[in-house]
Amino acid sequence: MSGAETTLVAIRQDDAPTGAGPGSEPLVAGLGFEEVAEPAAPRRGGSLRGAGPMRREDLRAAAPFAEAAETDRIMKPGALRGAARGRDLDSLTRTLFLRIYPVIAIVVLLTQAGIAWVNYADQLRLYTERANLLAALTASAIDRPGWERAAGTFGPQLQALARDPAFRYAALKDGQGRIVGTAGETPRGKPWDLVQVSAALESAGSPGTLALVLSAEELRDNAGSQALLALGTSVVLMLAFVATLHLNLRRHVVAPVQRLLVAMRKVEHKHWTTVDLGGAYRPSNEIDAISQAFNSMVEGLRSGDEAKQLLQALERAHAELETANRQVIESIGYARRIQASVLPDPAALTPAGVDLAVLWEPLHLVGGDYYWLEEIDGLSVIVVADCTGHGVPGAFLTLIVATALDRLLHERGLRSPAAILAGLDAMVRTQLRQDGRGAESDDGLDCGICVWDPGHRSLRFAGAGLSLTAIRDGAVARVRGSRRGLGYPRTGREAPPEADSFVPVEPGTTFYLMTDGVTDQMGEPAPGQRPRLLGQRGVTERLAARAGEPLAEQVAGLERDLAAYRGGQPRRDDMTLVAFRLG
Amino acid sequence: MSRIQIAATERSPLVDFDFASGRLCLRGESYPEDAAAFFGPLLQALRGHLGASEPEAITFEVGLAYFNSSSAKALMNLFMPLEDAAAEGRPVTIRWLYAEGDETIAEAGEDFAADFDHARFELVAEGHA
Repeated sequence: MSGAETTLVAIRQDDAPTGAGPGSEPLVAGLGFEEVAEPAAPRRGGSLRGAGPMRREDLRAAAPFAEAAETDRIMKPGALRGAARGRDLDSLTRTLFLRIYPVIAIVVLLTQAGIAWVNYADQLRLYTERANLLAALTASAIDRPGWERAAGTFGPQLQALARDPAFRYAALKDGQGRIVGTAGETPRGKPWDLVQVSAALESAGSPGTLALVLSAEELRDNAGSQALLALGTSVVLMLAFVATLHLNLRRHVVAPVQRLLVAMRKVEHKHWTTVDLGGAYRPSNEIDAISQAFNSMVEGLRSGDEAKQLLQALERAHAELETANRQVIESIGYARRIQASVLPDPAALTPAGVDLAVLWEPLHLVGGDYYWLEEIDGLSVIVVADCTGHGVPGAFLTLIVATALDRLLHERGLRSPAAILAGLDAMVRTQLRQDGRGAESDDGLDCGICVWDPGHRSLRFAGAGLSLTAIRDGAVARVRGSRRGLGYPRTGREAPPEADSFVPVEPGTTFYLMTDGVTDQMGEPAPGQRPRLLGQRGVTERLAARAGEPLAEQVAGLERDLAAYRGGQPRRDDMTLVAFRLG
Repeated sequence: MSRIQIAATERSPLVDFDFASGRLCLRGESYPEDAAAFFGPLLQALRGHLGASEPEAITFEVGLAYFNSSSAKALMNLFMPLEDAAAEGRPVTIRWLYAEGDETIAEAGEDFAADFDHARFELVAEGHA
């Protein structure tokens, strides 16, 4: 049995719930005989094997795939490949025929022979009885005293016997065995063709015997023709059986299995093909059941394959994004080094006796927050600026501010915080071309400036959108700058320029310049509550609680406090805080 | 355009500018990466409405839990044409909503209030939602 058959039987035994038993015959017996559409390939030849070699070509035409090399790589040991070409399916028909037909043929022959034999024996018995009766009747008609001499009596009687068509020969003998009279010819031929009987004549004094021979040739001829008939029946039966088996196997086994195999071959090459059951699905039909299981398997493979491809596309996109992101981050990391190198050393004012600590933390590596510390002409200048935006756009603005500040301090020699703010305002507006109509840029900055004159112990402050906070003995004082920032296109509603504020400097006072990113910390809201900003008061309370600590520790502690307040909430903005104590 | 509705995101507020009924509303948080891009179309629509419509009453409700400085500037730009319209006689009310106890937002509201002479500016403390 070939591989395909074995497979089919194995599937049936494993999966079919109502298996009749192993072997090929039950497979055929178990198949439904409902109409199944003929396959498109034309039928070729009438013999069992006739369609075989041609159908291989048909299948290739139906499934024009890349040939041997690829298939061999994918499919080993190749049972499916061979089966798909139809060879093994034809041998299924042949095997079934060779196994079933001899049994049927022998049974038919034996049955017919048996019937012929019984008929023959029966007729032979009837013949013998008829011969006995004829002989007895004739003998009794002849039997008269002195019959052996009355040839006129027994002669016609013997002649009358010849009227029987089977009659061959009759002999009348007297008591001494002499032949008194005969009719017919002495029979020649084989004894089994003849029926020989005799009847006794028992009249007193005239004993005799009548021997009668009938021909049994007719019986033999009858038996012979019956045997021929049996043989003919067997032949007709064989032809009918072959035709029926072939037709039904083609329709109900080979065609659907071939459709299945063609589909399997396509699926091997990832052509997701299902088998069309044509609405004729019957759960009791094993091939239908297999086809349906195959269809669901193909659907599963198809969706699995699609999911795999989507995943691959996603992974590729993810890798590209990762690369792009890494490049951006590397670039911004580089920018951070540049921005950090523009910032002053936090210890720049230590020689001037200013105790100072800085918290500078952009939201995204670089940012719009900027500070400047410098001792010029014995004056300590402390500047904190918060440009609009954060990240790269904010960082661009800080460079404009840094350049402007440098020119204001060194070229124009400005030392008044309010004058510096006014100068910054004008220069930024010029730089960003915000002085014309239809300005592209709507950017600006908040800024707070302190100038400490240790000789006169005077601290001057001016702010634009930024305040100076002073904490002494737990008391918080706030010197508010003007509400509006610097830069931005003019609206015609600008407040008049601010003047410097002179801030009293008591011993033990700590001053803070901070951007709104420090106070605008969004806290993790309690369930059912709205998120709330920490605010100015929240920050100063935390600073006051750490009033006794050295400034560096105080700033580090504040940073931890802020992180604790945010909880899971992200930071919203860059943050910068400059804390200082004046000696 | 008689109504602009934009759903809130993590970084931008809910916008509901119902010009037909004269009710404008901003709620949520506002710190978009590009504030000008977000608020620009709103400002244009507001100006267009103020220029084209009859001087009917307008109420602008702003309830922001956080806004960055760019958004503050953009809010100012939205308030200015409203104040101008109020100066020309249109009844304009700004309702500045802040969570009770949120001094930062309340303070910002006070700062904005100083800009209004003609429009009515209400500071409204809201209880916990």
